[in-house]
Amino acid sequence: MTRTGEPRDSAVQVTGDAADHREGIDHLETRLSRMVTLWLPLGIIMLVLLFPFYWMTLTAIKPDAELIDLDTTNPLWTWHPTFKHIYVLLFETDYPVWLWNTMSVAIGSTVLSLIASVGAAYAIVRLRYRGANWVGGAIFLAYLVPPSILFIPLAKVVFDYGLFDTPFALILTYPTILIPFSTWLLMGYFKTIPFELEECALIDGATRWQILVRIVLPLAIPGLISAFIFCFTLCWNEFIYALTFISDQSNKTVPVAIVTNFTDGDIFRWGSIMAGALVGSLPLVVLYAFFVEHYVAAMTGAVKE
Amino acid sequence: MISRRSLLKGSVALGGAAVTLDLAGWAKAWAADDMMYAPEEGASLQLLRWKRFVQSEEDSFLALVAAFTAATGVAVEVLSESMDDVQPKASVAANVGTGPDMFWGLYSLPHLFSEKCIDVTDLCTHLGEKYGGWAPSAEVYGTSGDKWIAVPVAYNANLINFRISAMNEAGFSEMPGDLEGFLELNKALKGIGKPGGMALGHASGDGNAWVHWVLWAHGGYLVDANDEVIINSPETEAALEYARQLYEAWIPGTASWNDAFNNKAFLAEEVWLTNNGVSIYAAAKRQAAEDPKMAMIAEDMDHAFWPIGPAGKPTEFHICYPLLGMQYTRYPNAVKAFMQFLMEAEHYEPWLEGAVAYLSHSYKAGDDFAFWSADPKLVAAKPAAWRTSTAGHLGSVGEKAAAALADFIVLDMVANACSGRESVSGAIKIAERQAKRLYR
Amino acid sequence: MAETPLETARRAAAPDDAASAWTRLQSNRNWLGFWFMLPAAAFLILFLAYPLGLGVWLSFTDAKVGSEGEWIGLENYEWLLGVAPVSDFLGIIANELFGTEFELEGDTTFWLSVFNTLLYTVVASAIKFAIGLYLALLLNRHMPFKAIIRAVVLIPFIVPTVLSAIAFWWIFDTQFSILTWMLQGLGAIAEDHQINWLGDETMARASVIFANIWRGVPFIAITLLAGLQTVSASLYEAAVIDGATRWQMFRYITYPLLTPIIAVVMTFSVLFTFTDFQLIWVLTRGGPFNATHLMATLSYQRAILGGYLGEGAAISTAMIPFLLAAIMFSWFGLQRRKWQHGGRDD
Repeated sequence: MTRTGEPRDSAVQVTGDAADHREGIDHLETRLSRMVTLWLPLGIIMLVLLFPFYWMTLTAIKPDAELIDLDTTNPLWTWHPTFKHIYVLLFETDYPVWLWNTMSVAIGSTVLSLIASVGAAYAIVRLRYRGANWVGGAIFLAYLVPPSILFIPLAKVVFDYGLFDTPFALILTYPTILIPFSTWLLMGYFKTIPFELEECALIDGATRWQILVRIVLPLAIPGLISAFIFCFTLCWNEFIYALTFISDQSNKTVPVAIVTNFTDGDIFRWGSIMAGALVGSLPLVVLYAFFVEHYVAAMTGAVKE
Repeated sequence: MISRRSLLKGSVALGGAAVTLDLAGWAKAWAADDMMYAPEEGASLQLLRWKRFVQSEEDSFLALVAAFTAATGVAVEVLSESMDDVQPKASVAANVGTGPDMFWGLYSLPHLFSEKCIDVTDLCTHLGEKYGGWAPSAEVYGTSGDKWIAVPVAYNANLINFRISAMNEAGFSEMPGDLEGFLELNKALKGIGKPGGMALGHASGDGNAWVHWVLWAHGGYLVDANDEVIINSPETEAALEYARQLYEAWIPGTASWNDAFNNKAFLAEEVWLTNNGVSIYAAAKRQAAEDPKMAMIAEDMDHAFWPIGPAGKPTEFHICYPLLGMQYTRYPNAVKAFMQFLMEAEHYEPWLEGAVAYLSHSYKAGDDFAFWSADPKLVAAKPAAWRTSTAGHLGSVGEKAAAALADFIVLDMVANACSGRESVSGAIKIAERQAKRLYR
Repeated sequence: MAETPLETARRAAAPDDAASAWTRLQSNRNWLGFWFMLPAAAFLILFLAYPLGLGVWLSFTDAKVGSEGEWIGLENYEWLLGVAPVSDFLGIIANELFGTEFELEGDTTFWLSVFNTLLYTVVASAIKFAIGLYLALLLNRHMPFKAIIRAVVLIPFIVPTVLSAIAFWWIFDTQFSILTWMLQGLGAIAEDHQINWLGDETMARASVIFANIWRGVPFIAITLLAGLQTVSASLYEAAVIDGATRWQMFRYITYPLLTPIIAVVMTFSVLFTFTDFQLIWVLTRGGPFNATHLMATLSYQRAILGGYLGEGAAISTAMIPFLLAAIMFSWFGLQRRKWQHGGRDD
C-alpha cells in the first residue's frame, strides 16, 4: 500500500534489456537504441511542449522593434533584452492587484472545496451510509457538467444572490468545478488508510469527527496537498466565469485582465501581454516544481482503487 | 468667453502643462457661470468607457476629468473596457440596476435600454444651439422618440489608409472615388506585390466598417425603414460579387484578422492599403523619432474617403461613441454637469486634439477647431459625423440593429461569399434567415 | 461541524424525545453521512444543480440580457435545429467532409458549430490519448533527472490556458509567425510564402486542435503515468521469462490493467475538449467563416454579446445529449473490457 513515487520504472526497462540480450546486441548499441527509443522521442515531445513557453519568455523581454522584424534579426533570440515590459506591467498597471485577486480567489475557493471534499469523501468511503454509492456517482457526474453550459444561468444566479462583480462570485462558484475531482481523488486516498486505526479509535470512544481530524487527515496530507495543487491550478486557470461575473477593473483575475487590458483598442502590446502571461504562470510553476512528485504519487493512490 | 477661448488655444500650442493649468482656471469660472446643473452635495461618479486607442487621448481625457473635479469637487473614476465588452456590461448594469453611473459605448448602446437612461434633452438642445447644431447621425444615435437619451460625444472615423508610393507605383495618382477604380487599384497593388487587405474575422470595428460600406455602396440594405428584412436583393448580390473580387486581390489571411492585425501588418509593410482609424498614422508618428522606418511610413501614408458606389452618396460607417447616464445613479445632476463640461468647446477641442484626429466632433462648431488645419493627412476624418450612416441604416437604431452587429450577420455574409464557402445566394439566404429572426 | 445547526436540526427532527434523537443524529451512520456531505451538497446544489435546471428553463424562454423573458416553448430549439434535425445533422457532416451543398433547414451556424465541436473533440482526444499514452510509457522508464523532466512535461498544463492561447495566437500570426519563419529557414516552404495559420478554414481547425493537444497531453500523460506505476513489476518479469515481446506485454499486461484509469481520464478529456471555450475565444473567436466556432463559443456570442440569453442557453443545453452520449460510450465501452478481464464492477 505504499503510495509514494518510488521507482517502479524498472518494468519496461527490464523488458528492453532482456530483449536486447536475447538478440545479442552489445552494450554500445543498447545505448544507441536507448537513444532512439527513449531520449529522441522524449526530447522532441519536450521541445514541442516547451517551445510556446520559451517564445512567451522571449517576447516578454524583446524590444518592441524586434517583435515585428523577422528579416534583419533572428527572431529566436534577442541580444538586447529589456525589462521594460515587465517594469510597465508591475509598476504602471494594476497587475499586482490582479495577481492578488487571483491568489485570494484561488486560495479561498480551494480551501472551501477541500473542506467540502474531505467531508464528502470521508462519508462516502468510510461511513458507507445508505446510498453512499449513489451519491458518489452523482458527485462524479457533477464533474461532467462543464462551466460553458452553466455560465449563462449561473450569471443569473450570481445576480440574484447579489454576488455579481464581487470576489465571492468566483470564490463560491469555483468549488463546483473543484469538489467533484478532489472528492474523487481523496476517496482513492482514504481507501488506502487502514481501517484498523479507526476501529481502535472508535473503541476508545472517539467520535467520527475526532477520528477524521486526528487520525485520517494527518495520514492523508500528501493526498490533500495534491488535491490542493489541483484545485489551485484550476482556479488560477479559470476564465469563463471570471470573464462573465467580474466587471470592475480592480476585481479582475490575471487571465481575464491580460486578455482585456493589454490591448489599446486595435493595438496589442505583445511584450506586456507575454510578460503578464509569464509572471502569471510563475507561482504555479514554482508550486509544481516542489510538489510534482506528490502529485504523481497522489494520482497513483487515487487510481489504484 | 471668446477671449478666454482664444487664450486657451494659444496655450495649447505651448504644451500640455500649460493646458492643464489653464483648463483648471477656466473650469472654475465655468462652474461659477455656465454650469447648467449643480452637482449634488458629496457626489462622486463612475464612468465606464471604451478602452482608448491612442494614449494621448486618454491622457487629455484624464486631464479634463481632473479639471472637472477641481472645479466642482465631484470625483470621477474612469474605468476602461475593451470595445466589445462595454455593451454586455452596460446591459447587465441596466438590468440589475447597479453599476457605473455613466457608460460610454458604441453605436446604439443607449437604445438597448432607452427607458433606463437619464433624459438629457435640455442639455443636448442647449449644446446643439450653442455649437451650430448636431450632425444628423448624432441626432439619430442620441435621441429616442422626442427625447435625448445620450450625448453623442464623438466619432471614430474609419478611413482608407494607404501608402502613397505604392498607389503611385500601381499607376494611380490619387485614391479613386468610384468602385471600379478602387477595385482596379487593389488589383494593381497585388500585381506589384504590395497588396492591400481588410479584416474579415470577427472584428467589430474595422470588419464591420468595410462590409457595411460595400453593402450600402451598392444599394443593398439589411432592413428597410419599417425594419422589414430586405437583404435578399440584386444589390446585395452585386455587393458580394464586388467584395469577392476585392478579397481575391488582397493579401491571404484577411479572414482571420481582428481589429489589430491590419495595424501591425501595415506598419511592417506587409499590406499597403487597409481600412482603419488614424491610429496607424498616429503610431507611426509616435515612433518616428526613434525609428527611421516609422518616420518614412508616416511620411508616405495618407487617408482617404471611401469610394462612392451606385447608391450615389457616401456610405461610410464610422463608430459613434454615445455617453449615457443611468437612471439608477444617485447623482443625476453631477452626471449631466460632467456631460456638459466634456462637450464645452473649451475642453472638447483640446481633448479631441489629444486624440490626434482619432476622434471627430459631432457638432458643427467643431469644424472650426484649429487642429483640423494642422495636418492635411488627418482632414479626411473631419466630416465623419456627417458622412456616416447609422447602425441599421434605413432601419431603426436599437437593440435589433445592435444584435445584428454583435452577431456579425453582414460580416459573416460577406466572409462566406468571399471565401467561396457559400455561393452568393447561399450567403444571402443565411443572413436573411438570421436577420428575420432578430427583426421578428 | 458546528454545534448550532446540529441543535437546530435536533429540535426540528425529534420534538418528543430530544436526548435519543441527539444521540441518533450523532452516531447514526446515515445521519453522520448527511452531515459530512452537507457542505459539498450545498455547493453543488446551489451553484450547479440549480443553475443547470435554470439553464434548461431559460432555453425555453426568450430571455434577453435586459429583460426577463417569457415562456416560448420549443421555439429556440426549432430555430436552431430546424424541422428536420437528423437530416440537418447528416447534411452538415456531408457538406463539411465531402463538399456537398445540402441546404439546411435549421440555423447553419449552429449546425456548423455542432460539426466543429465533434471534429475538434474526436480528433484532439484521439491524438491526445495516443501521445499521452506514449509519453507516459516513456516517462515510466528509468532515467536520470526524472523529477525535473516530469515537472517540465507538466508546464503546458500549469500555464493558464488563456495565457498559453495568447502565446499560440502570436505563434500563429499570419504575418509574423515564428513557425512560418522556421519553415522558411529550413527550406520547407518558399521564402515569400506565408502560411495562413488561422485564416484558412482547414489550417485554422488544425491549428486550434494542435493547441488543444499541446495543452491536454501533459495531464493525460501524468495521470496515465500514475496508473502505470500501480502495475506490478513482477508481472513483466514473469512475462519476460515466458518470452513475451514488448508489444505483447503492452497488449496483454499494461493495457488491460490500465483500462480503468484510461476510462476515467479519457472521459474527462473528451468532456473538456467538447466544452472548450478559452482556447477558441482567444485564438479565433470562432472565425474564419465560423469554421472554428464551437457550441460553447457560439452560445457566449449569442447570449452575452448578442444579448439573446434564451437562445444561448438553448445552445448550451443542446450540448448535454452529446455529453451524455460521450460519457456512456467511454464509460460503458471501457468498463465492459474491464469485466472481461476479470475486474470488479465498482
